[in-house]
Amino acid sequence: MPASRRFASKLLRFVIRHSAPDSQTWGNAMLRELDFIESDWAALLWALGSTTAIFRHSARALWARMGKQDLQKERPRVNSNGNKAAGIAAGIAIAAILIVTALSAVQLLFYFFPAWDLRPMPWIMAAFVISEAIFIFAVVTLWRKRRPMAVGILLSAVLVVTHVIIHLATHGMSR
Amino acid sequence: MKPRLSPQTLLLLDAFLQSPKDWKYGYDISRNTGLKSGTLYPMLVRLAERKLLETSWETIEIGKPPRHLYRLTPTGLLFAREHRLSRSSGRAQRTALGGVKS
Repeated sequence: MPASRRFASKLLRFVIRHSAPDSQTWGNAMLRELDFIESDWAALLWALGSTTAIFRHSARALWARMGKQDLQKERPRVNSNGNKAAGIAAGIAIAAILIVTALSAVQLLFYFFPAWDLRPMPWIMAAFVISEAIFIFAVVTLWRKRRPMAVGILLSAVLVVTHVIIHLATHGMSR
Repeated sequence: MKPRLSPQTLLLLDAFLQSPKDWKYGYDISRNTGLKSGTLYPMLVRLAERKLLETSWETIEIGKPPRHLYRLTPTGLLFAREHRLSRSSGRAQRTALGGVKS
């Protein structure tokens, strides 16, 4: 057997041995054809072309496998993080709407009934207390089923309480 | 929308369409189409992955290594014929337009 044909055969066998399992069937198919090529140089060219084809096939299989693994790893985590963030944001939004509504109600009370001579601060405090009570109730109710939303509400409740405490500490009960 | 096929793929499909029922060897396809192994086999793999091509190992005879065989599946046959038809109608249109221009 001439050297070029021997080299072609050895090269192809070596590449098949080290290729991805999916590529080995195709590699063997190319190798079998080598025996039916009349010219030695044509056989060598066939082997070189086959080597390229096997490399491409192996690389494609590897790439596809890596892509699949990455998707399997990343997708649930991204989804779960996204859902958590959305839940917390929803909780904060609900709490903010509740606080704004309560304070607006108090302001409307002052506006529509000026003759009642209401002292604003206790009413504002009442609005905060009622809101905080609703927050605590919501957090307890949602904690098991919708924890991210409950966390969002809890964060807002803590923020509001901190704000009220700081306000009372610096300004007292005056408005 | 139909996928655009490369000239090499069209050449390969044409080779299969010449005798659609016969199994073909890789080297014979290469000789008939002039496609090198580095071009031919990736196309065969893609066609097989898309279930347009069926493959089989030749029944083993003693002292003779088996060879891989290829032929179009019924879906592949339909696909190849559709592409040949659309190509020939496109060519006819171009020829007709060329005739109008000149």
